[in-house]
Amino acid sequence: MANTVIGSSIVIDGEISGDEDLVIQGTVKGKISLKESLFVEGSGVVEADIETQNVEIGGRVTGNIVATDKVELKSDCRVVGDIKAPRILIADGASFKGNVDMDHKER
Amino acid sequence: MVQTKEVGASHTENTVIGESILINGKLTGDEDLTVRGRVEGELTLTRTLIVEPSGIVKANVAVKNAIISGVVVGNVNATESVELTREGRMVGDIHAPRVIIVDGASFRGRVDMGEVEAGRLNTERPARPVVRATTRTVAPPPKPPPPPTRVEVKAKAPVRPVPQPPAPPAAPARPASAASPAVAEIGKKKIVVKKKTK
Repeated sequence: MANTVIGSSIVIDGEISGDEDLVIQGTVKGKISLKESLFVEGSGVVEADIETQNVEIGGRVTGNIVATDKVELKSDCRVVGDIKAPRILIADGASFKGNVDMDHKER
Repeated sequence: MVQTKEVGASHTENTVIGESILINGKLTGDEDLTVRGRVEGELTLTRTLIVEPSGIVKANVAVKNAIISGVVVGNVNATESVELTREGRMVGDIHAPRVIIVDGASFRGRVDMGEVEAGRLNTERPARPVVRATTRTVAPPPKPPPPPTRVEVKAKAPVRPVPQPPAPPAAPARPASAASPAVAEIGKKKIVVKKKTK
Protein backbone atom coordinates (compact mmCIF):
# COMPACT_ATOMS: atom_id res chain seq x y z
CA MET A 1 0.00 0.00 0.00
CA ALA A 2 2.77 2.37 -0.76
CA ASN A 3 1.13 4.03 -3.70
CA THR A 4 -0.89 7.18 -3.70
CA VAL A 5 -4.51 7.28 -4.74
CA ILE A 6 -6.39 10.42 -5.66
CA GLY A 7 -10.02 9.43 -5.15
CA SER A 8 -12.83 10.14 -7.59
CA SER A 9 -14.27 13.08 -5.65
CA ILE A 10 -10.92 14.78 -5.16
CA VAL A 11 -9.92 17.85 -7.14
CA ILE A 12 -6.34 19.04 -7.00
CA ASP A 13 -5.31 22.31 -8.55
CA GLY A 14 -1.55 22.63 -8.37
CA GLU A 15 1.58 20.57 -8.55
CA ILE A 16 2.09 16.97 -7.60
CA SER A 17 5.55 15.50 -7.35
CA GLY A 18 6.92 12.35 -5.85
CA ASP A 19 8.92 9.14 -6.07
CA GLU A 20 6.13 6.59 -6.05
CA ASP A 21 3.23 5.29 -8.09
CA LEU A 22 0.24 7.57 -8.37
CA VAL A 23 -3.30 6.49 -9.20
CA ILE A 24 -5.71 9.19 -10.27
CA GLN A 25 -9.44 8.56 -10.10
CA GLY A 26 -10.33 12.19 -9.54
CA THR A 27 -9.34 15.48 -11.14
CA VAL A 28 -5.89 16.99 -11.24
CA LYS A 29 -5.04 20.32 -12.85
CA GLY A 30 -1.57 21.77 -13.01
CA LYS A 31 1.54 19.65 -13.20
CA ILE A 32 2.52 16.11 -12.31
CA SER A 33 6.09 14.94 -12.03
CA LEU A 34 6.89 11.47 -10.77
CA LYS A 35 9.83 9.11 -10.86
CA GLU A 36 7.55 6.08 -11.03
CA SER A 37 4.27 5.21 -12.75
CA LEU A 38 1.15 7.27 -13.23
CA PHE A 39 -2.21 5.57 -13.67
CA VAL A 40 -5.12 7.65 -14.84
CA GLU A 41 -8.16 5.47 -14.31
CA GLY A 42 -11.47 5.63 -16.16
CA SER A 43 -12.95 8.24 -13.85
CA GLY A 44 -9.74 10.26 -13.79
CA VAL A 45 -9.45 13.66 -15.42
CA VAL A 46 -6.04 15.26 -15.81
CA GLU A 47 -5.43 18.69 -17.21
CA ALA A 48 -1.74 18.88 -16.61
CA ASP A 49 1.69 18.46 -18.03
CA ILE A 50 3.01 15.07 -17.03
CA GLU A 51 6.58 13.95 -16.47
CA THR A 52 7.02 10.38 -15.32
CA GLN A 53 8.65 7.07 -16.06
CA ASN A 54 5.48 5.26 -17.09
CA VAL A 55 1.97 6.45 -17.81
CA GLU A 56 -1.11 4.32 -18.19
CA ILE A 57 -4.18 6.23 -19.26
CA GLY A 58 -7.73 4.95 -19.12
CA GLY A 59 -9.37 8.30 -18.48
CA ARG A 60 -9.08 11.79 -19.89
CA VAL A 61 -5.83 13.66 -20.16
CA THR A 62 -5.24 17.11 -21.59
CA GLY A 63 -1.61 18.18 -21.58
CA ASN A 64 1.83 17.22 -22.74
CA ILE A 65 3.24 13.91 -21.60
CA VAL A 66 6.91 13.13 -21.28
CA ALA A 67 7.81 9.65 -20.09
CA THR A 68 11.26 8.15 -19.68
CA ASP A 69 9.98 4.65 -20.35
CA LYS A 70 6.47 4.06 -21.65
CA VAL A 71 3.12 5.68 -22.37
CA GLU A 72 0.10 3.46 -22.75
CA LEU A 73 -3.23 4.71 -24.01
CA LYS A 74 -5.91 2.21 -23.15
CA SER A 75 -9.21 1.81 -24.91
CA ASP A 76 -11.83 4.37 -23.88
CA CYS A 77 -9.21 6.94 -22.97
CA ARG A 78 -9.26 10.44 -24.40
CA VAL A 79 -5.96 12.22 -24.69
CA VAL A 80 -5.17 15.61 -26.14
CA GLY A 81 -1.54 16.74 -26.13
CA ASP A 82 1.92 15.78 -27.24
CA ILE A 83 3.51 12.55 -26.12
CA LYS A 84 7.22 12.00 -25.91
CA ALA A 85 8.49 8.61 -24.82
CA PRO A 86 10.66 5.77 -26.12
CA ARG A 87 7.71 3.37 -26.03
CA ILE A 88 4.17 4.42 -26.86
CA LEU A 89 1.24 2.03 -27.02
CA ILE A 90 -2.16 3.05 -28.32
CA ALA A 91 -4.90 0.48 -27.86
CA ASP A 92 -7.88 -0.03 -30.12
CA GLY A 93 -10.68 2.31 -29.03
CA ALA A 94 -8.39 4.97 -27.65
CA SER A 95 -8.96 8.56 -28.69
CA PHE A 96 -5.88 10.66 -29.16
CA LYS A 97 -5.01 14.01 -30.67
CA GLY A 98 -1.45 15.34 -30.67
CA ASN A 99 2.11 14.66 -31.67
CA VAL A 100 3.99 11.51 -30.91
CA ASP A 101 7.73 11.50 -30.45
CA MET A 102 9.49 8.20 -29.89
CA ASP A 103 12.99 9.39 -29.60
CA HIS A 104 15.15 6.31 -29.26
CA LYS A 105 18.40 8.24 -29.46
CA GLU A 106 18.09 9.58 -25.96
CA ARG A 107 17.73 6.14 -24.57
CA MET B 1 -5.16 5.86 19.39
CA VAL B 2 -6.35 2.47 18.37
CA GLN B 3 -9.44 4.01 16.87
CA THR B 4 -7.50 6.33 14.61
CA LYS B 5 -5.43 3.46 13.28
CA GLU B 6 -8.55 1.45 12.57
CA VAL B 7 -10.13 4.37 10.78
CA GLY B 8 -7.02 4.85 8.67
CA ALA B 9 -6.87 1.18 7.78
CA SER B 10 -10.52 0.97 6.81
CA HIS B 11 -10.23 3.89 4.41
CA THR B 12 -7.22 2.75 2.44
CA GLU B 13 -9.44 2.53 -0.61
CA ASN B 14 -10.02 6.24 -0.46
CA THR B 15 -7.57 8.91 -1.31
CA VAL B 16 -4.08 8.43 0.01
CA ILE B 17 -1.20 10.81 -0.45
CA GLY B 18 1.88 8.59 -0.20
CA GLU B 19 5.00 9.35 1.75
CA SER B 20 7.12 10.58 -1.15
CA ILE B 21 4.35 12.68 -2.70
CA LEU B 22 4.29 16.46 -2.58
CA ILE B 23 1.16 18.30 -3.58
CA ASN B 24 1.44 22.02 -3.91
CA GLY B 25 -1.78 23.85 -4.61
CA LYS B 26 -5.43 23.50 -3.95
CA LEU B 27 -7.02 20.21 -3.00
CA THR B 28 -10.76 19.72 -2.64
CA GLY B 29 -12.92 16.64 -2.29
CA ASP B 30 -15.92 14.84 -0.87
CA GLU B 31 -14.19 11.81 0.60
CA ASP B 32 -11.80 10.86 3.35
CA LEU B 33 -8.20 11.81 2.70
CA THR B 34 -5.15 10.21 4.27
CA VAL B 35 -1.94 12.18 4.08
CA ARG B 36 1.35 10.34 4.52
CA GLY B 37 3.33 12.75 2.38
CA ARG B 38 3.19 16.51 2.01
CA VAL B 39 0.35 18.81 1.10
CA GLU B 40 0.91 22.54 0.81
CA GLY B 41 -1.56 25.24 -0.05
CA GLU B 42 -5.23 24.78 0.58
CA LEU B 43 -7.15 21.69 1.60
CA THR B 44 -10.94 21.49 1.59
CA LEU B 45 -12.91 18.33 2.28
CA THR B 46 -16.49 17.56 3.19
CA ARG B 47 -15.29 14.54 5.13
CA THR B 48 -12.37 13.43 7.27
CA LEU B 49 -8.74 14.39 6.94
CA ILE B 50 -6.27 11.95 8.46
CA VAL B 51 -2.71 13.15 8.76
CA GLU B 52 -0.57 10.15 9.57
CA PRO B 53 2.68 10.38 11.52
CA SER B 54 4.72 10.73 8.32
CA GLY B 55 2.33 13.32 6.90
CA ILE B 56 3.02 17.03 6.68
CA VAL B 57 0.30 19.54 5.87
CA LYS B 58 1.21 23.17 5.44
CA ALA B 59 -2.14 24.52 4.44
CA ASN B 60 -5.31 26.16 5.51
CA VAL B 61 -7.59 23.23 6.13
CA ALA B 62 -11.38 23.17 6.00
CA VAL B 63 -12.88 19.76 6.72
CA LYS B 64 -15.60 17.98 8.66
CA ASN B 65 -13.25 15.99 10.89
CA ALA B 66 -9.51 16.08 11.26
CA ILE B 67 -7.35 13.47 12.95
CA ILE B 68 -3.83 14.74 13.22
CA SER B 69 -1.00 12.36 14.00
CA GLY B 70 1.57 14.12 11.88
CA VAL B 71 2.50 17.75 11.36
CA VAL B 72 0.06 20.49 10.49
CA VAL B 73 1.07 24.09 10.02
CA GLY B 74 -1.89 26.31 9.25
CA ASN B 75 -5.38 26.99 10.41
CA VAL B 76 -7.81 24.12 10.74
CA ASN B 77 -11.50 24.78 10.42
CA ALA B 78 -13.66 21.75 11.14
CA THR B 79 -17.45 21.57 11.16
CA GLU B 80 -17.37 18.65 13.57
CA SER B 81 -14.14 17.80 15.36
CA VAL B 82 -10.39 18.11 15.43
CA GLU B 83 -8.30 15.50 17.20
CA LEU B 84 -4.62 15.90 17.93
CA THR B 85 -3.26 12.48 18.78
CA ARG B 86 -0.22 11.60 20.86
CA GLU B 87 2.05 11.96 17.83
CA GLY B 88 0.35 15.05 16.44
CA ARG B 89 2.15 18.35 16.15
CA MET B 90 0.40 21.47 15.08
CA VAL B 91 0.97 25.18 14.78
CA GLY B 92 -2.07 27.27 13.89
CA ASP B 93 -5.56 28.05 14.98
CA ILE B 94 -8.28 25.46 15.45
CA HIS B 95 -11.91 26.33 14.93
CA ALA B 96 -14.24 23.42 15.68
CA PRO B 97 -17.10 22.60 18.05
CA ARG B 98 -15.17 19.59 19.34
CA VAL B 99 -11.44 19.77 19.91
CA ILE B 100 -9.54 16.85 21.38
CA ILE B 101 -5.92 17.23 22.33
CA VAL B 102 -4.37 14.07 23.70
CA ASP B 103 -1.50 13.89 26.15
CA GLY B 104 1.76 13.96 24.19
CA ALA B 105 0.42 16.12 21.39
CA SER B 106 2.20 19.37 20.61
CA PHE B 107 0.16 22.41 19.74
CA ARG B 108 0.68 26.14 19.47
CA GLY B 109 -2.17 28.37 18.45
CA ARG B 110 -5.67 29.37 19.35
CA VAL B 111 -8.65 27.16 19.91
CA ASP B 112 -12.16 28.36 19.19
CA MET B 113 -15.00 25.99 19.96
CA GLY B 114 -17.61 28.59 19.08
CA GLU B 115 -20.33 29.44 21.57
CA VAL B 116 -19.87 27.81 24.93
CA GLU B 117 -22.77 25.45 25.32
CA ALA B 118 -25.16 26.25 28.17
CA GLY B 119 -25.68 22.52 28.64
CA ARG B 120 -22.17 21.99 29.86
CA LEU B 121 -22.49 24.58 32.61
CA ASN B 122 -25.79 23.12 33.73
CA THR B 123 -24.32 19.67 34.05
CA GLU B 124 -21.61 21.04 36.31
CA ARG B 125 -23.91 23.03 38.56
CA PRO B 126 -26.19 20.23 39.70
CA ALA B 127 -23.16 18.30 40.87
CA ARG B 128 -22.30 20.92 43.49
CA PRO B 129 -25.70 21.15 45.23
CA VAL B 130 -25.72 17.39 45.58
CA VAL B 131 -22.45 17.55 47.46
CA ARG B 132 -23.76 20.32 49.72
CA ALA B 133 -26.96 18.45 50.39
CA THR B 134 -25.10 15.40 51.63
CA THR B 135 -23.07 17.52 54.06
CA ARG B 136 -26.23 18.95 55.55
CA THR B 137 -27.78 16.74 58.14
CA VAL B 138 -31.16 18.26 57.33
CA ALA B 139 -31.13 17.22 53.69
CA PRO B 140 -31.05 13.41 54.01
CA PRO B 141 -34.79 12.89 54.63
CA PRO B 142 -35.88 13.70 51.04
CA LYS B 143 -32.98 11.75 49.58
CA PRO B 144 -33.34 8.29 51.08
CA PRO B 145 -35.25 6.77 48.12
CA PRO B 146 -32.22 6.04 45.88
CA PRO B 147 -29.70 4.80 48.52
CA PRO B 148 -31.63 4.24 51.75
CA THR B 149 -29.09 2.26 53.76
CA ARG B 150 -26.20 4.61 53.04
CA VAL B 151 -28.11 7.74 53.83
CA GLU B 152 -29.19 6.40 57.18
CA VAL B 153 -25.62 5.63 58.13
CA LYS B 154 -24.47 9.07 57.06
CA ALA B 155 -27.32 10.79 58.83
CA LYS B 156 -26.54 9.06 62.12
CA ALA B 157 -22.82 9.60 61.91
CA PRO B 158 -22.80 13.43 61.79
CA VAL B 159 -25.59 13.74 64.37
CA ARG B 160 -23.58 12.01 67.06
CA PRO B 161 -20.42 14.12 67.02
CA VAL B 162 -22.25 17.44 66.87
CA PRO B 163 -24.24 17.17 70.13
CA GLN B 164 -21.75 15.15 72.19
CA PRO B 165 -18.17 16.45 72.27
CA PRO B 166 -18.23 19.70 70.27
CA ALA B 167 -21.46 20.85 71.87
CA PRO B 168 -19.87 23.38 74.25
CA PRO B 169 -17.65 25.16 71.69
CA ALA B 170 -20.28 24.95 68.98
CA ALA B 171 -22.88 26.66 71.13
CA PRO B 172 -21.14 30.05 71.42
CA ALA B 173 -20.06 30.05 67.79
CA ARG B 174 -23.48 29.50 66.31
CA PRO B 175 -25.57 31.74 68.60
CA ALA B 176 -24.59 34.75 66.48
CA SER B 177 -27.46 33.80 64.26
CA ALA B 178 -29.45 32.22 67.13
CA ALA B 179 -29.40 35.62 68.87
CA SER B 180 -28.95 35.39 72.65
CA PRO B 181 -29.25 38.97 74.14
CA ALA B 182 -25.50 39.50 74.73
CA VAL B 183 -24.59 38.24 71.32
CA ALA B 184 -27.28 40.37 69.74
CA GLU B 185 -25.67 43.51 71.24
CA ILE B 186 -22.30 42.49 69.86
CA GLY B 187 -23.89 41.97 66.51
CA LYS B 188 -25.48 45.45 66.65
CA LYS B 189 -22.21 47.08 67.64
CA LYS B 190 -20.43 45.43 64.79
CA ILE B 191 -23.03 46.59 62.35
CA VAL B 192 -22.76 50.17 63.61
CA VAL B 193 -19.00 50.11 63.15
CA LYS B 194 -19.41 48.90 59.62
CA LYS B 195 -21.86 51.66 58.82
CA LYS B 196 -19.48 54.33 60.19
CA THR B 197 -16.59 53.05 58.18
CA LYS B 198 -18.70 53.10 55.06
